[in-house]
Amino acid sequence: MNNNVAINASFGNLFRFFIQELKPRGPWLTPFNIISIPVILVGLGILVYRFIHGLGSVTNLSQETPWGLWMGFDVVTGVALAGGAYVITFVVYVVGLDKYHGIVRATVLNGLLAYCFYGGALLIDLGRPWNAPNPYIGNSFGFSSVLFLICWHFLLYMVCEFVEFSPVIAEWLHLEKAKRFLKKLTLATVVLGITLSILHQSGLGALFLMAKPKIHPLWWSEFIPILFFVSSIYAGLSMIIFEGTVSHKVFSHLIPEKHHHHFDDIVFGLAKGAAITMFVYYFFKALLFIHDKQWDLIADGWGLWYLLEVIGFVLVPALMFAFGFKHRSLRIIKIAAVMALIGIILNRLNVSVIAFNWYSVAHYVPTWQEIVVTFMVIFSELWVFRWFVTRLPVFDSGH
Amino acid sequence: MDSFTYVNIFETKGLEYLLLLCFWGLFVYLLKYLSTPDKKRKDSKR
Repeated sequence: MNNNVAINASFGNLFRFFIQELKPRGPWLTPFNIISIPVILVGLGILVYRFIHGLGSVTNLSQETPWGLWMGFDVVTGVALAGGAYVITFVVYVVGLDKYHGIVRATVLNGLLAYCFYGGALLIDLGRPWNAPNPYIGNSFGFSSVLFLICWHFLLYMVCEFVEFSPVIAEWLHLEKAKRFLKKLTLATVVLGITLSILHQSGLGALFLMAKPKIHPLWWSEFIPILFFVSSIYAGLSMIIFEGTVSHKVFSHLIPEKHHHHFDDIVFGLAKGAAITMFVYYFFKALLFIHDKQWDLIADGWGLWYLLEVIGFVLVPALMFAFGFKHRSLRIIKIAAVMALIGIILNRLNVSVIAFNWYSVAHYVPTWQEIVVTFMVIFSELWVFRWFVTRLPVFDSGH
Repeated sequence: MDSFTYVNIFETKGLEYLLLLCFWGLFVYLLKYLSTPDKKRKDSKR
């Protein structure tokens, strides 16, 4: 009887604690809130309309162009930008470079939320979203489809990232025993998570292997899976630099002073890794270009667009990362990170949207509703990210 | 008759070999370049 009373009291306390934590903190009238709240509200309205009247009512998608901005940006690009989590956990837990431990929690949280929101955005792009659980529940698994691998990897990887992040939740709830137990699971989940990441980052590229006749030859290659995997490494590193820089400005009051100084060294290390990876990626692209004898294809507008992506947003930022590291210039490195991110967005959108059906007379252009919903997904993720970092010990290294 | 010729650099994949040689040469140079940062630091303040 006494036990029941104690359990009820503790659940009551926990409930009150959660309600307290859900209440907003800080000023409401910030530039971010003023921009993001209307976008999220309009986006939600568009989604309600989309689920009542169908995809065609708010998008320019058709039978010829079934994948548009939602798939191209939210899923294909978003997953590449979330690659930082598997790269940094590999560096910290497998290679043992403890210098980067301070950014593991924020990076894993960012990765977890990115997969939840961008993977979740897949549901709004499916004509029949109620069929989404089929690959999991066995109502036609679809073993022969690359999407089967991607579906399972998304789910398992989200579970892995949740387990990797769970010691922070336990610390927040003052559950010391649970935290110690969950920390013991970290290495195993990191190894599993890295394996899953490598496979589904390249798996996303493999989705486009069967679309050879539809993708412009400059962007289609039988090595798309390898290109997607390699580019996801520097996409993740650039995203950590960008997201870390913004976080250190916006949440500076939550970050211990020693981490501020330490972060500069971390950025230099990440820049070095990004420079090497981008250099390798650039030569992959050059080798494929020469191997496929694509000289004739660069004479027109598509060719110039391709050169802009590969030289302007791969080679140039790679050199800037190297120069910035050598000469200890944070400014150059941060500009290079933004350029690398633009390059990744361009590449993924080129493969999945822009150079898809490139020969078509009526080319796909996203509607304003598609653009608003895309921003809604990004802002929603940022809201949740902000909620976590202002309440949980995300910026602590956990040592 | 169109035939294969061993002196055509495009047919023999000569360019691919040259590119790979360039890659390894430049890659080693890049690693050496990145092995030690300059002692002087341009801008460290945020």
